[in-house]
Amino acid sequence: MRSFAEREARKQIPFRLNRNLLYQFMSGRIFYGEPVSTSPENAPPQRVSVDALTVERTKKDRAAIAILNDLSLTLAPGATAAITGPSGAGKTTLLHALAGLRRPDSGAIHWGDQNIWAWPERQRDRWRRDAVGFVFQDFQLFPELGVLDNILLPTRFDHWRAPQSLRERALALAEQAGIATLAARAGSLSRGEQQRVAVARALIRHPALLLADEPTASLDRENGTRVTDLLLGLAQKVGASVLVVTHDSAVLGRVGTVYRLEAGRLVGAPQAAP
Amino acid sequence: MNPWPVVLADLRSLRWVAWIAPLLVAIAVSVGVALSAQERGLRQASARAADDFDLLIGAPGSQTQLVLTTVYLQPEALPLIDGAVLAALSADPRVKAAAPIAFGDISRGYPIVGTTSAFASRWGRLTPAEGRFFAAESEAVVGADVRLALGQSITPAHATAGHPAPLGVEVAEEAHHRHEGVHYTVVGRLPRFGSPWDHAILVPVESVWEIHGLGNGHADEDGERVGPPFDAAKVPGVPAIVIKPRSVADAYTLRGVYRRGGTMAFFPAEVLVAVYRTLGDVRDLLLVAAILNDVVVFAAVSILLLALAGLRRRRYAVLRALGASRAYVLATAWLGAAAILAAGCLAGLVLAQLTVVAVTSVVEARTGLAIPAAIGLTDSLPIAGLMAIGSLLALMPAFAAFRIPVADTLR
Repeated sequence: MRSFAEREARKQIPFRLNRNLLYQFMSGRIFYGEPVSTSPENAPPQRVSVDALTVERTKKDRAAIAILNDLSLTLAPGATAAITGPSGAGKTTLLHALAGLRRPDSGAIHWGDQNIWAWPERQRDRWRRDAVGFVFQDFQLFPELGVLDNILLPTRFDHWRAPQSLRERALALAEQAGIATLAARAGSLSRGEQQRVAVARALIRHPALLLADEPTASLDRENGTRVTDLLLGLAQKVGASVLVVTHDSAVLGRVGTVYRLEAGRLVGAPQAAP
Repeated sequence: MNPWPVVLADLRSLRWVAWIAPLLVAIAVSVGVALSAQERGLRQASARAADDFDLLIGAPGSQTQLVLTTVYLQPEALPLIDGAVLAALSADPRVKAAAPIAFGDISRGYPIVGTTSAFASRWGRLTPAEGRFFAAESEAVVGADVRLALGQSITPAHATAGHPAPLGVEVAEEAHHRHEGVHYTVVGRLPRFGSPWDHAILVPVESVWEIHGLGNGHADEDGERVGPPFDAAKVPGVPAIVIKPRSVADAYTLRGVYRRGGTMAFFPAEVLVAVYRTLGDVRDLLLVAAILNDVVVFAAVSILLLALAGLRRRRYAVLRALGASRAYVLATAWLGAAAILAAGCLAGLVLAQLTVVAVTSVVEARTGLAIPAAIGLTDSLPIAGLMAIGSLLALMPAFAAFRIPVADTLR
């Protein structure tokens, strides 16, 4: 098994001349270099450090206002945390910056000892694919695809066909998520089932960091509880760190640390869950 | 990388638009292709029909009309040339064979053409598909598409010039103009020419002359003999003579010689070239209209696809959030748009083929020409060009997807 550093070094080679070009194109290697195995040990959880992060938004009058203002926090490997706070406080922006989707105006986000915003976009995309799982408030499944196709979707970004090990993992995740009708199109599932499929999708590649944006906000209490159980239970199984943006007290009570965000700043001391 | 699951999901989400957009493209594309194939088929078929008519001699007048009447059997009253010309041509050493063509009668809507057995066999090139060639004035051979059986007896009737009769049926008008007491017995069937002559009944030219009270073109002592040589003094006026010259040089000499005096000589190809030039001009005009049509439809569909890419921004942003690269999103959007345009182009090819088959059957029924109803490589090449253009146009929505700001779109 190659080490993470070896793999990173190999990524610098755009494609290898001893491979068939067409095969490389079809398998995505021209775009991505050598594929990374998605077994758990290949993307070990790292300490996530947000250091003096500032994200600004430019208003119509060209004046800049800070959405996140000099924000710092740390998430230890395998830790669970929640961010809560009023609407417009910058919770989702923080999540997007952590996922490498929203470039900060200043500050850094460290994955271990590397600043993800110092990487080229291609490397950040690859890191997000290999190390990050994302759960949305409104599921964001592809309703026209079946349950398994939705769960396996993140594997299509660098595989023509998902490896057998991932297909088996998808079946296992679907079973753990309590989805009985695998052949059904995602659009035909109930809201609770859809969010459980979305959680399975987020976990298919053994992410080291799981980010969830209001995962229970559009669910009733019973479904919210099932989704929370699944999210935290499965994340704990793979040893992933979890950061959840939520107002749901049931979720807040299940994570290790709760941060409160107001007007782009963390207020008060991080609270340990009751 | 495999963007197809997302592409197929995108296409499914379009529902009826995924069918309508390619259909619009298909209709636009098929017009030009069908037009080009149809014109080419008509050109080939009409040229092939004139193959055995090397040199035509008739009375001075419209060359086009003489070709239409003689080669394509479009009934029209033609001025006659002196029958002595036929005898002179038969004796001319530059002429390998000469055959008079006489029209004017029909039977059950089929035109009756008087000629020689030699020309019926296309100068010995053909043998009958059934039976034999005519050997007496009361015998006839029929074209491949004439629905008359061997041994069947028919009665000719005067045809009305400019009023083609329906084929295979005897209308009241025909019954009214019958040459009562005259009968032909079908003794043979010709192989298929792929020309209007497939609908013709061929009889000895002598019988046509005799029915119309003009003698039989032979000296009295020759009796009922059919075929050349004819007696110069007895041959009545003929509307057209088909010549097979001995050589190309002889053909040009004969054309020059018989352009003087009371005759007109020409190669049918001369008329066809002029007709094709006009046909080509019309085709070019229609093709320009078809191309403009393509441009409008491609532009409309491209704008539709661009708008769809805008509506799918959130889907593309989700893909990026899940770890897809920009290249994956670009490939997804491009393949989806290109698939619609390419499907439209390919469906256009099928639609064009169906149109060509349908139009060809109508034209064949009207003209008797066997038109090749197939789309050729040259007709298909513009499709490849349109697919290439479609692929480029598909890059518009693809780049729109490529550039979406992910975080802003996800909010």
